[in-house]
Amino acid sequence: MAVVSGYGLGEPVKGLLDGYDASRAYDEVFEPDGSVRGVYTRIVERFRGLGVTELRRLEKLVAEEFRRQGITFTVYSEEEGTERIWPMDLFPRVIAAAEWDELARGLSQRVAALNCFLADFYNGGGEALADGVVPRWLVVSSQGFERNAVGIRVPHNAHCNIAGIDVVRGANGRYRVLEDNLRNPSGISYVVENRAAMAKVCTWLFDDHAVQPTEQYAPMLRATLESMAPDGRDSPHIVVLTPGIFNSAYFEHAFLARSMGVELVEGRDLVVDDHTVYSRTIEGLVRVDVIYRRIDDAFLDPVSFRPDSALGVPGLLGALRAGNVSVCNAMGNGVVDDKAVYPYVPEIIRYYLGEEPIIDNVTTYTMWDPDQRAEALNRLDQLVAKPVGESGGTGVLIGPHASEQELAEARSRIEAEPREWIVQELVQLSTLPAFADDRLESRHLDLRPFILTGETTEVFPGGLTRVAMRRGSLIVNSSKGGGSKDTWVLAHDSP
Amino acid sequence: MILARHAGALLWTGRYLERAETISRCLSYAADSITGLRADEARAEGELLVRTLGLSDEPGTVVPLESRPQLVAFLLSDRDNPCSMVSSIVAVRENLRSVRDRIPIELWEEANGLYLRFPFLGHDNTPSDLHEVLRMVRRACLAISGVLNEGMRRDEGHAFVVVGRMLERSIFTVGLLEASHSDPRGSLDAGRMLRLTSSLQAYHRQHGSAPDFCGVVRYLLHADDLPRSVFSCLVRAQECLADLASGAEALDRPRRRTALLRSRLEFGDLAEAMVSAPVPALLDFGGELAEVANEVQEGIAPPQTMAALRSQYLRPGATGDRGVLR
Repeated sequence: MAVVSGYGLGEPVKGLLDGYDASRAYDEVFEPDGSVRGVYTRIVERFRGLGVTELRRLEKLVAEEFRRQGITFTVYSEEEGTERIWPMDLFPRVIAAAEWDELARGLSQRVAALNCFLADFYNGGGEALADGVVPRWLVVSSQGFERNAVGIRVPHNAHCNIAGIDVVRGANGRYRVLEDNLRNPSGISYVVENRAAMAKVCTWLFDDHAVQPTEQYAPMLRATLESMAPDGRDSPHIVVLTPGIFNSAYFEHAFLARSMGVELVEGRDLVVDDHTVYSRTIEGLVRVDVIYRRIDDAFLDPVSFRPDSALGVPGLLGALRAGNVSVCNAMGNGVVDDKAVYPYVPEIIRYYLGEEPIIDNVTTYTMWDPDQRAEALNRLDQLVAKPVGESGGTGVLIGPHASEQELAEARSRIEAEPREWIVQELVQLSTLPAFADDRLESRHLDLRPFILTGETTEVFPGGLTRVAMRRGSLIVNSSKGGGSKDTWVLAHDSP
Repeated sequence: MILARHAGALLWTGRYLERAETISRCLSYAADSITGLRADEARAEGELLVRTLGLSDEPGTVVPLESRPQLVAFLLSDRDNPCSMVSSIVAVRENLRSVRDRIPIELWEEANGLYLRFPFLGHDNTPSDLHEVLRMVRRACLAISGVLNEGMRRDEGHAFVVVGRMLERSIFTVGLLEASHSDPRGSLDAGRMLRLTSSLQAYHRQHGSAPDFCGVVRYLLHADDLPRSVFSCLVRAQECLADLASGAEALDRPRRRTALLRSRLEFGDLAEAMVSAPVPALLDFGGELAEVANEVQEGIAPPQTMAALRSQYLRPGATGDRGVLR
């Protein structure tokens, strides 16, 4: 069934969802026969009772709330950054409890395996490389490989304390991992603020559901960071290290520091003395034990990395080597962020954990393999090409949406630098209603759940749902016009 | 324990917040008083205002005094003028933004709201509804003060905001008295001084409705029940600096100097000096206040720590002058 007319509720209804097209991909709300999936029944009923004017009013309330609080993100053009109000669509995404349990197990498994790989690579014997699980040349040629991180001990071997794994649902409704973000995944503050705004503006929507709360993220993160303290530091002094107020994610950095009750510092607030990190207070220097850094490896320490970095702390690497401070996430995680390593993650899971991956990858072709390259280039107009070192959707070519000229250019770039590209099967991301053009229309979306690892691994219930706000678009990044949704994980599935 | 950078940001938040409120009062007064004056009188009034705000001492500052709209634009919306209202509002927001993790959410929201509502960011034109804008700014400043007083923990951060406000306020009041004494027209307008310090109503309640110049000067300097008097400001600044100096030794010097200035008011030294030469006495007092403000700023980053920092930039990780380690 292509178009929804009566929501499968027994009677045809005129309203915002009339004419909703659920046929473009797996729809989160509507079954192929047009009936409403169980977890959305009450929500669809509630939205059925709303008019355009009311929905506009609610949207305006949310925007005003975000504007007042300064909940913004920065979009960088070539010359300057523009601060924009965080966009949120009111129709929530709902994940059933059982479905979430399965997803959380898969995410936990994936991050555990990647942590094993990082520990093995930087601190162990590199056994996975020796056994050919991942080609050594591929890893050491990665832009994310950090030679300086070799030999630095990390508490609990937890190199990635905060991971954001992007997952999508394909046509069959199964979740698949699209990307691993193990360096500085952002977005969690918007998850919490989206919920706070929804709770204020659409209180009535929560009446019928037991939704898992989002406020526990800060205590979870704090506990994770505390568990990363160097030996003997029982009440560790934790700080969040930000590049400063002009960074695109500054709102999030301040949010995290405030919610955890720790200091938000810039590089100039810290100083290293005798291989120990101190913060500069008005009463003198105070030792720092754990740094949750939100700046890239290259800027962490101008002595060891980029000498022009004004954001980092001179001597930090020495303090790390001496074991006097922990930096979360650890340096060098970029090797597994590298999209070129992504196709090997299922094998990494099998190698370290002896288990089958619970969540599959999207089918990916490695361009450095001549046979796979030939096949992919031949079908490039049906596939998606991604540069391995980019993020935020930059440089992605979606074959079916590309012109002949764009396809030809992409082919020649891939031929010239096969190490720098992967090609994937096109996933028609699942869809969900979003308010656009005065009605609820289907829009594609993804999900970024957050996984915290210290002494133990925990998956934060929910995550950031990003939605492509243009009809038919598969680009969900907020910097490219994407929006977001409140993500509900139900506490239990029974009514 | 507060980061030195946070302390600096909160100190300047207090100073700029006070400045924004002061300028709104000055502009409101100027807009009223200049209207209807002859060109030379309007220029003299403008000069007095500029002197009151200390802008005539700013090196390289050329104040446009030729017309009322130019002067209003200079004080209201000129982003090159560090004492303009727009610069003050932007500075309050940016400073609070850099300490967003340690201030009440409502405080940030009020400051951000003022910034978003202020209509002249990036514009040079004089607004037609000037008084409406000025009233909005004053109310927003009062709302911010309310959150500061009622919603913020009485920690070091709060103390720095108070110190900044009190020093800025006393510097302005002393500058106002000095400019009034120096006015070449010899007008010695007591009502003007009371209006520019928001003290007219309080004075009337205590002293009747016919203010005399000397009485108003005494009132603005010495009144212990007027929150805007120099004495009251110094008492509050001294109290906060005493709390801060118990942990940060470098702030003990400005605390002692503040106490000294307070005692000069309390025991009549300033009043005595003003009998024979009011302008030099006020200039000297104002200069001392400015030096205290500088010393607070310097005390936020103690010299020992700076020395350690410098050594670290030369030899990272090496043992050097550690300053005060805790």
